[in-house]
Amino acid sequence: MGQVHISQFDKTKKIKQGKKMPSNILQYVNRKWLSIWKGNPPGLVLILFTFFTSLLMSIPIFYVIWRSFFAGGDRWKRLLDERIPQLLWNTLSLNLAVTVCAVIIGVSLAWIVTRTDIPGRKIWQWVLALPLVIPPYVGAVTYIIVFGPSGWARDIWNNSPLIVDLFGEYSINIYSFGGVFFVLTMFTYPYVYIIANASLRKMNHNFEEAASSLGSTPLQIFWKVNLPMLRPAIGSGAVLVSLYVLSDFGAISMLRYVTFTAAIYFQRQGMDISSAAVLSLVLVLLTIAILWLESLSKKKNKYYQTTNTYRKPLTLRLGKWKLVTFFYVSMVFLVSVLIPIIVLVYWSNIGIRMGALDERFFGFAFNSLKVSGIAAFICMLFAMPIIYLRSRYPSVISSAIERLSYSGYALPGIIVALGFIFIFNNHIPSIYGTFHMLYLAFVVRFLPQTMQAGDSSMRLISPRIDEAARSLGYPPWKVMFKVIMPNMLPGIMAGGSLAFVSSIKELPATLMLRSPGFDTLAIRVYFEAHERIYHLAAPSALLIILMSIIPLRYMLKKY
Amino acid sequence: MNEVKVIRVVLMFILLSAINLVVYGCTNTDNKLQQSNETDESTGATSKLEANSGELVVYSARNERFVQALLDKFTQDTGIRAIPLHEASPLRVVEEANNVQADVYISNDLGALGYLHMNGLLLGSNPKGIDTIPEEFRSDDNAYFAISARSRGFIYNKDLISEEEMPKSIEDLFHAKWAQVKNGYAVTRGGNGGMIGHVSALRYEWGDEKTSEWIAVIRENAAGIYQGHGDIRRAVGAGEHAFGLVNNYYYHQQLLEPRDNNVGFIYIDQEEDQMGVVVNAAGVGLVKGGPNEANAIKFLEWLLLPENQVAFVGQSLELLINSHFGAVYPPEVEPYIVGFNEIKAQNMPVKELGNFFEDTKELIEKSGLDLDLR
Amino acid sequence: MFDIELKNITKTYSGSEESAVKNLSLTVKKGSIVTLLGPSGCGKSTTLRLIAGFERAEEGSIELAGKTVSDKNIWIPPEKRGVGMVFQDYALFPHLNVFKNVGFGYKGKDRAERVMEVIRLVNLKGYEKRYPHELSGGQQQRVALARALTRRPVVVLLDEPFSNLDADLRVHMRFEVKRIISEAGATAIFVSHDQRDALAISDKIVVMNKGVIEQQGTPKEIYQSPSNKFVASFVGQSNILEGKINEDNKSVLTDLGIIPSYSAYNYKAGEKVYISIRPGSLEIDRNGQMNGLIKELTYSGEFFDIVVEVTLGNGTCQHLIAHIPPEEVVKVGDSLNFNILSQYVSIIKYH
Repeated sequence: MGQVHISQFDKTKKIKQGKKMPSNILQYVNRKWLSIWKGNPPGLVLILFTFFTSLLMSIPIFYVIWRSFFAGGDRWKRLLDERIPQLLWNTLSLNLAVTVCAVIIGVSLAWIVTRTDIPGRKIWQWVLALPLVIPPYVGAVTYIIVFGPSGWARDIWNNSPLIVDLFGEYSINIYSFGGVFFVLTMFTYPYVYIIANASLRKMNHNFEEAASSLGSTPLQIFWKVNLPMLRPAIGSGAVLVSLYVLSDFGAISMLRYVTFTAAIYFQRQGMDISSAAVLSLVLVLLTIAILWLESLSKKKNKYYQTTNTYRKPLTLRLGKWKLVTFFYVSMVFLVSVLIPIIVLVYWSNIGIRMGALDERFFGFAFNSLKVSGIAAFICMLFAMPIIYLRSRYPSVISSAIERLSYSGYALPGIIVALGFIFIFNNHIPSIYGTFHMLYLAFVVRFLPQTMQAGDSSMRLISPRIDEAARSLGYPPWKVMFKVIMPNMLPGIMAGGSLAFVSSIKELPATLMLRSPGFDTLAIRVYFEAHERIYHLAAPSALLIILMSIIPLRYMLKKY
Repeated sequence: MNEVKVIRVVLMFILLSAINLVVYGCTNTDNKLQQSNETDESTGATSKLEANSGELVVYSARNERFVQALLDKFTQDTGIRAIPLHEASPLRVVEEANNVQADVYISNDLGALGYLHMNGLLLGSNPKGIDTIPEEFRSDDNAYFAISARSRGFIYNKDLISEEEMPKSIEDLFHAKWAQVKNGYAVTRGGNGGMIGHVSALRYEWGDEKTSEWIAVIRENAAGIYQGHGDIRRAVGAGEHAFGLVNNYYYHQQLLEPRDNNVGFIYIDQEEDQMGVVVNAAGVGLVKGGPNEANAIKFLEWLLLPENQVAFVGQSLELLINSHFGAVYPPEVEPYIVGFNEIKAQNMPVKELGNFFEDTKELIEKSGLDLDLR
Repeated sequence: MFDIELKNITKTYSGSEESAVKNLSLTVKKGSIVTLLGPSGCGKSTTLRLIAGFERAEEGSIELAGKTVSDKNIWIPPEKRGVGMVFQDYALFPHLNVFKNVGFGYKGKDRAERVMEVIRLVNLKGYEKRYPHELSGGQQQRVALARALTRRPVVVLLDEPFSNLDADLRVHMRFEVKRIISEAGATAIFVSHDQRDALAISDKIVVMNKGVIEQQGTPKEIYQSPSNKFVASFVGQSNILEGKINEDNKSVLTDLGIIPSYSAYNYKAGEKVYISIRPGSLEIDRNGQMNGLIKELTYSGEFFDIVVEVTLGNGTCQHLIAHIPPEEVVKVGDSLNFNILSQYVSIIKYH
């Protein structure tokens, strides 16, 4: 071995000496570079690759800021005076209401299915996460069918004299704040539910036992022990809900409500691009404010780690509360899963008998699969180097790259689309108008989800593993491929399937970026539902849901 | 193990895939160009497309159901694959001026086509069969022309209000009493193409001041403001509103509904001293610099065939400008069709609409009616 | 011939003002086992990581097998240094079985034979197809060691290799690891904070504190003649007293009385010194010169751990820790007469 090594040392020595910087400036730059990376700089390829990824990711945000500066004071003033106050009120009141209720429903359900002896616990566990695969705009369609001005509920209402006597003519207005609030809450609570569920299951029973040995009742334990420990989980769930409500276009526009996202979409349809940019900037600021609030609450909370003396928590006997609890859980399930599915199956059945499953339909399905699949694949491909860089080469540069790559997390799809249209139309015309633009937008939007999932498995890989591989003769790039990637894969795959599910149901960016002749299932649902051709909308919606369930199962197992 | 070599290989790989991406994007557009020139010296990659003798990119602002059927027929007749982008705003064509994607633009608002033409985005041509279109329904250089027409008017729910009780003139809406009618009346948002056309016509007739006042009044009195006319006809049909301001073919469509179809329609301002109904038309424009120009011309000539003018109307239930070509309507609708020659129309030439397009939007917004729902 | 030579190494982590390693020089003989011993944060792990190439020193040079791998102008990355490393948590590749872990990075044509040879060396034959999570802690450590040895490295570096093992296994593995390394004929550097590990396996111990070497020598030298108070108290228990060399140059005058020491002749009579008395040097003797009260007493099987309180001439008290044979019948509060035996007493230069 000695022989081989000696010759390599010689070679390396020569290269290093040959590369000796000729001038002092270069030497200074070199030293500075080393000191940024704490003497351990990553390979050039890795830096360049991640740098360009982060650049792609941050196109939209730079575009929005840049465009809004050129909107002109007049437009700013007009919007600030007329549109923005009303939009702010619409957006924030809806956001707050939905977030609060989604948290209440999500946490209570998670607590019930993890801690009580409710019948069918095992099934409830994952069935209650199902609304996650029902896009809220599909939910909106189904509830328009049920509660709309000429919906099923009206027929039932007006045909039962008792109700008419009591309340008069049918008076439910789904096209209202209440309607939007209801639909969004029922289809976003799973964000909170899943996270709270996972952390309740991981929560160490010792604390609860300590509390109960001090004479606390189960309810007191919930308030005093479980809830405070759940706060980080509630925080991240609430942020997901809140960011979703900010970015939702489909459900909100179908229910004829207007928030910032919808306003931007319509401004853009009217090609008032400067106004759209101004509103977008406000929307971005709102998102940043929400993320900032969350980071504040995180700082105040200590991180609770479960010790290795983990014990399975006791199951609370519900006793006389069993019926009430069961009714509550069943109602949520009925409203958020059963009714939508029944409606969709009903209309799909009509549609299929009318020949809805024609060649066009399968074309749309194929487009959906193709564009979401490519997006998920690229997300997985891009996420790994960034996570690796950030975790193994901590520095100002790598954290900047990571932050920029996370910008899609805070960016509503509509803004990603606006930025893409501008950049590609003006600067990269060869891609403009092709479907490449669409999956790239999905990548910007959903790379952060993949990164988060990948990051959690990267955390489990000790840096010592890298060092072991390096001491065994593997250079860093080879370590990444041979050691890190195989071990990160489960997390990355989970992240990729999340990106797939998110892409397949994404609406606003898809609507704005679709290329001629390239409609997806989501677009079909939107247009057909808008024209109230439910028998054509339902099969597409049902297929989106079916295609999302499999990755969801895979993902839930991970958590 | 030579690190430098490995890095070089990886760099090459990345570079190649980047090039691949760009080239792939380019060949797509190249294909389009090649087909438009109808040169056959393309590589293997285009052979599949040659069999279909090319593509045609169609942007359309009209309801998808009407247009898709027409395009399917076109593909069937000619073998040219029509690639549609439905619900495309005319301003998308403006935005893409330096990177033209569309070959033809189909619109339900001649004002939008006129506007595009004014901005130099449409190309004049002389397709065979253009003489069948009356001159007031096409631009001087035939860059765009109309096939079908519609008139504005009130759809009303016969269960809620009788024909006698209905307003008969657009000016009647100045009166506050229409706010008191049971369930009120509905209009579209200000940015709707039909609404813009209507307001443009009023400006032509009344001048800006009175028009602005009219907008402010309906903004105040309307019980519902909707995204589009389809929403209004359904709402009126279902009894959510007594009547609404729509185009006549929405009335025809509502008649076809299996239920909620007890509706009537008022052609407004038909008296001697009145202005006549406001007319708008749907038609098609040839986009300048589109990728498949030859196919676009083929499309226009194909469309001008009488049979296809009828197909253009299709399920929209609009009125064919050349009514003698005999558009076919379902039996439920047939008795209620009022021929284009039977009504008194406003005397503003439809192709003038484009001149008002931009200013009208501003006037609407200034008068208090939002272009978009809020 | 030295296998490893560190010259004037200084390493400061960014963000910290203290240097982790200060002007450190160290040589390791080919085929020897050296332990870097010290409390946590003393710079021993940093030194190991500097040798492995996971950290880069800002001053000084490192030579491995006669080749400079790190100095101002030269930087050889870890993968080209030819060192083997065993980590505290073993860092086995979770996705690879034992055979593949051990063979990781070995490029020779005789890969299969070599891997099996090493697996036999660490007594893991039959476990080739197992995955790391299917092995016990001791087995995992054998795999980690085998993996580090496969490529016949210039040196094997072991970072706290025994700290994750329970007591019994730990004693056993000390001997095992020493045997395996000797049989492989490898040079090895251990890092440990446990003096028993260090004393048991090392040819040479390097005691470090706050980034500098306090003393280096054979285990016996380190234990019997600590060169300063830190070494005396860190390596084994010790009672440290101040004193003066007696005029006979054979003993030391302390508050306790006269304590005999062979090394006193190295000092001038009357010189102020420290004296280190190991717990084992206390011998119970009815006629002993010294007397004290037993304040604490703990039975530990092999001996009693006791604390004796001696009242000094000036009225103050001095506590001494000591080990006495388990067969002695004593209890707390007993008065004890004893002598101090010279073989466990060492003199430390006053500083």
